[in-house]
Amino acid sequence: MNDIFWNVGYPHYLVLAAILFLIGTVGVLVRRNALIILMSVELMLNAANMTVLIFARMWGDLSGHTFALMVIAVAAAEAAVGLAIVVAVFRGRRNVDVDRLTTLRH
Amino acid sequence: MRIIALIVMGLLAFGTVGGAVAYAADPPSAVPTAGAERAGKQVNIVKTTPHMDRRESRPSSDNPGTALLFWAFAAATIGGALFVITRRNLIAAVMGMVGSFLGISAVYMMLYAGFLSVVQMLVYAGAIMVLFVFVVMILNRPEDEPVAPSGRAGQALGGIAIVYLVGRLILLLINVRPPRAETAIAAPGPITLNVPGGAPEKVEWGSVKAVGTDLFGPGLFPFEAISILLLVAVVGAIAIARPLHASDEEGTS
Repeated sequence: MNDIFWNVGYPHYLVLAAILFLIGTVGVLVRRNALIILMSVELMLNAANMTVLIFARMWGDLSGHTFALMVIAVAAAEAAVGLAIVVAVFRGRRNVDVDRLTTLRH
Repeated sequence: MRIIALIVMGLLAFGTVGGAVAYAADPPSAVPTAGAERAGKQVNIVKTTPHMDRRESRPSSDNPGTALLFWAFAAATIGGALFVITRRNLIAAVMGMVGSFLGISAVYMMLYAGFLSVVQMLVYAGAIMVLFVFVVMILNRPEDEPVAPSGRAGQALGGIAIVYLVGRLILLLINVRPPRAETAIAAPGPITLNVPGGAPEKVEWGSVKAVGTDLFGPGLFPFEAISILLLVAVVGAIAIARPLHASDEEGTS
């Protein structure tokens, strides 16, 4: 226990990323507000990004950094479009509760 | 909401205990960062070369300050993330998200990804979170029921599934070893860069120059594709968010 606290290595970072991803998953599954769901998706993207950087560091390969940069750009695009959809939905229905968006259900 | 917090706290506790048990059962004696070796090496290095650059001479995991910093930033990351999924107030959730991103940025810095750390802080904690705050301000409505209703059986099943999943993940990840001894957690040091049309030069690992050379070399096509994607996203966001008729905007706001 003492060793696992003071001797921080790659497993620590990987477990941190895994827990972050799981928290994002739980947020997507249990919350009903579309904004919180978008934020949880961002958390999951960040966890995946952190894993990419950890493995880049582990293998001494810099192309992981390039990939992480691409992921950040795609996440920014996703956030912009997702928030635009949230605003459009709110304009039509006055709420962003995903459990009440049942128009496409037959 | 309380049930979610309990579930997540339970999985954190389970993960810690499971990781400790696995670590005690199979200590990584082969890697150079093991405990006994570490103590001897550290003393030797400190005695013989006290004037040397600390980051070069000493693997970062041997430094107790590094361990404390890692736990502090991990706590900030996980705490902010928990804040996001448990708060009823949307602004509080966004602020927790900013704290989580700051922690992630610091963790990137500890992984010697300096450029990515700065980009993370600028793009996420700066730009994307400001976008979220604006949208929260537009739809400023209190939630009546923030968590989807599910029966007690569903919650128990979900909790068990989460605990099992995180336990298996941690048991898997705790045995990850670096592929080569020289890329164990020690500082990476400078790398040699083959500059096109010039002499090879040494740059810092994870610096702007190193990342940029990779980005504009092998990663040039994805980089250009990303620029088109961003253009499409901007046009699409404006097209989606704009009111269909001019009179709509007066009626809603």
